[in-house]
Amino acid sequence: MGKEKEKENPSQKALNLLRTRLSNPNFVFKPLSDSPDSNYSKLKFIISSSVTEACNNSILLLGPRGSGKAAVLELVLSDLLQQYPEAISVIRLNGLLHSDDNCALKEIARQLCKEHQLLFSKVASFDDNSQFLIAMLRECGLAHKTIIFMLDEFDLFTQGKQRLLYSLLDAMQSVTSQAVVIGVSCRLDVDQLLEKRVRSRFSHRKLLFLPPSKEDTERFLEHILSLPEDSSLPHSYTAEFNGRLKNVLADERFKELINTYLSFNSTIGQLVRFLFQAVSYMDLDVGFLSLENFKTALSSTQRQPKSECIKDCSILELYLLVCMKRLEVKEQNSYNFNSVMTEYKSMHEFQTSDNYAGNVCLRAFEHLLQRELISFTDNRGHNQSVEFRPVKLLISPAELHQGLKSYRSCPAILLKLIAR
Amino acid sequence: MAKVESPQVTRRTTRSCSASNDAIESTKPIEPYKPTLNDLGFRQQPLSFEDLLSCLPGRRTQVLELLGLLGPVNSPMFPILVYGGPSTGKTSVTLQVFRHLNRPFVYSSCVTCYSPRILFESILNQLLFHRKNSGNSYSSIKRCEKPSDFVNYLREALESVIKNLKGNSGKLSSEVSGQPKGTMIYLVFDNLERVRKWDKSSTILPFLFNLFDILKMPEVGLIFISNTSPDTYYFNMGFVEPIPLCFPDYTEDDLRQIFMANQTNRKLYSSFFGVVLRPFCRVTRRVDELSAVFSSLFKKYSQPLSDMGVAPNEDMKRRLFSHLQPHIASALNETFQSPSRPLLKDEANRETKKKCSSRMSTIHEDFDKIDFHMSTSAKYLLISAFLASRNPATLDASLFDSTGVSDSRKRKRKPSEKSLEQKEMTELELLMKGPGTFPLERLLAIFQCITSLAEDSLDEEESHELTIEGGSSGLMSDVLLQLSSLCNANFIIKGGSCPLDGSTRYRTAVSEDLALKVARSLKFPLSKYLYRR
Repeated sequence: MGKEKEKENPSQKALNLLRTRLSNPNFVFKPLSDSPDSNYSKLKFIISSSVTEACNNSILLLGPRGSGKAAVLELVLSDLLQQYPEAISVIRLNGLLHSDDNCALKEIARQLCKEHQLLFSKVASFDDNSQFLIAMLRECGLAHKTIIFMLDEFDLFTQGKQRLLYSLLDAMQSVTSQAVVIGVSCRLDVDQLLEKRVRSRFSHRKLLFLPPSKEDTERFLEHILSLPEDSSLPHSYTAEFNGRLKNVLADERFKELINTYLSFNSTIGQLVRFLFQAVSYMDLDVGFLSLENFKTALSSTQRQPKSECIKDCSILELYLLVCMKRLEVKEQNSYNFNSVMTEYKSMHEFQTSDNYAGNVCLRAFEHLLQRELISFTDNRGHNQSVEFRPVKLLISPAELHQGLKSYRSCPAILLKLIAR
Repeated sequence: MAKVESPQVTRRTTRSCSASNDAIESTKPIEPYKPTLNDLGFRQQPLSFEDLLSCLPGRRTQVLELLGLLGPVNSPMFPILVYGGPSTGKTSVTLQVFRHLNRPFVYSSCVTCYSPRILFESILNQLLFHRKNSGNSYSSIKRCEKPSDFVNYLREALESVIKNLKGNSGKLSSEVSGQPKGTMIYLVFDNLERVRKWDKSSTILPFLFNLFDILKMPEVGLIFISNTSPDTYYFNMGFVEPIPLCFPDYTEDDLRQIFMANQTNRKLYSSFFGVVLRPFCRVTRRVDELSAVFSSLFKKYSQPLSDMGVAPNEDMKRRLFSHLQPHIASALNETFQSPSRPLLKDEANRETKKKCSSRMSTIHEDFDKIDFHMSTSAKYLLISAFLASRNPATLDASLFDSTGVSDSRKRKRKPSEKSLEQKEMTELELLMKGPGTFPLERLLAIFQCITSLAEDSLDEEESHELTIEGGSSGLMSDVLLQLSSLCNANFIIKGGSCPLDGSTRYRTAVSEDLALKVARSLKFPLSKYLYRR
């Protein structure tokens, strides 16, 4: 990555371009929303009709995380803002930030003030803010301006008394107001979480976001990974890059690889993340994407943290794990460091190697706690010292056995002890 | 690793997080130092790629992977989760990579920033180039507790910083050294595993993981550093996982590279290393723990040598090995050593004698082997606390009866099978339950009993070694003071109050070994009073 290379190196530029694309949701979801029966078209129709016909509406966008609910909504909103710049104002809330009613109303007031060049008061009370909101809704209704409330992580707004949802949906019952409430959530049962008074005011319109079909995925891969012809990159490089990419995409091994990945993580968001990893493994000196890049990316997504943890353990830590497993086999329902220690000592009746003093074992025990291979069974008894607090294994015996087998230099006696 | 980079790392962390250090810095100049955009970089000469790899031995693949994920200048990135056990070089690698790349970043550790508010304010202070000093009475630039406020402030701050960065990179021709490169700004959150304990982590952790989606700013890169693997972060809420980057523990070869790095006599050290590495790696492979043990062992290893620069031959290696061997065995069974400072001269003599024959430790040598000073009454108090938490309260009367001890445990029945089983059960229960609690009154009663007993026995023996000044009343006078100091030293733990009478209950955490040692130093027959089931 020398400085002098920076300017002329086309592969670096190409990499930059790909990474920018992948992290830009607008680019990612645009091609998937062309067809007339896509969620994009449906959503756009619903919102634009309620804007033009000046009516109230409420919709829920449901689907797994990374399926592009918020991205598609943003696409629709940006289109509509271009189409009707005067008739729409958007309020964005997030359940992670504004699940508290007070906080949410304050944020609504802040965004409304910012949008309409009003003075926002930080000290305004809940009542002030809610009155302000209702007044604003009426004013906007009179001016034929639609306020769109976008509630991300909608399920988190249903915690507590749901006063915000109630006041929003209740205000929408009047003729004068003109607003659209759009809830975005990963929980498919989110409308069951609503209180009765809220649910009855909610139009049960839902849009479901499904994972893309196989053909869509293929089109999508090509769209997102191939370089544009009309960029500043040298033409020969672009042609070769795209040619090689086509070969990779057509490869049977690649298709199998993508299918393996999609069988675990089917959403577009996760696919994009996978592609990002593959792209970041691209060798800048070669400058082209290869099948190897995708293979490395796949192997790094299929990690087994717990069994990797066992590989990191020292022999003494393994001994302690095996002791605990033996205690579990003996159906001792709860055990702590002291009982593990007696088991450890009994294991060393016949052999002398790896027999360490109690304090060394205690340190190894604490390492295991730190690695989260074991944990305390309860959070009570903080004033009790570590030795006496009951613990449990966080890995299954099978995992432990597997881990021991693949350990580089596992003592044979350990394997014998765990089998019995 | 930690050993190699520690000065730089600590400098970095103190700069970013602690207010106290900044205060010291700002008292020296009259005009307090005004941080600028350059301070978001590493503030030190950037490392070349070769230096980067050579100062991080054994972490080549991780460095390359991290560089790949960060990508070239000005390219956006997805959030990364760097994880691995303690002292595997996660923080060092991340910070040194930024030093190499010379890009702006904001580092905050969730250890020093121990609550959401402090974390948020520390990030904002760094982004807005604010420093706590006496001029602003050590206050942060913005007061924000809630994530919602934080997001608004953060967005503003990031926008202004990015604008500045873009302005700088516009005039590329005047590339000043020290100016961070690129228009990306990276937020590094260290010790993320701590966040799980904050207010049950119900809101902050999902918030941090979703911060990238909430901000929707491609110019911001997020890097999380955690001690624990990603699977320990699963909870109800869900999030788009950050890209994991695993730092496995060092292998033995890596350890060799790390420890050989700063040695003056490499040949000598490598022969030493060949001896100690194997046995210690069976216990732990953590660099921080190994380096503490190895430094003291190496001193002992090279003790017989007069010239430290000598390259050892086979014969000498053998001699040095036989000299070291007993120390290895004892060091393996110790977690940390504290140099004992014997108060009496003859004790010092005994210490040296002990070293000669430390392999065969007999009971005699353990006499007086307490590594700390403790007053006699505190020792008695500790013993009585130990007795109170181990013995059942119902047996106190018979154990401390003025008639003596020996008679109380005469009855010996032939153990039946059932009673054996019962015994096993109670043993198990004892292992599980730990020491019992006791009220203050019981402690004081036992204390009085054993001190009076000890005085009697001392008088009989006419020993001058341990003299208790004053009578029992004199001992009692400051006993409560002693108790509170023992509580502070964590020998005795103040537990919750009893639900029935509301008085505070105590419990002792000392092990039997320590209690026996203390008793021996007093010549107190502890085992006679200890009830064994």
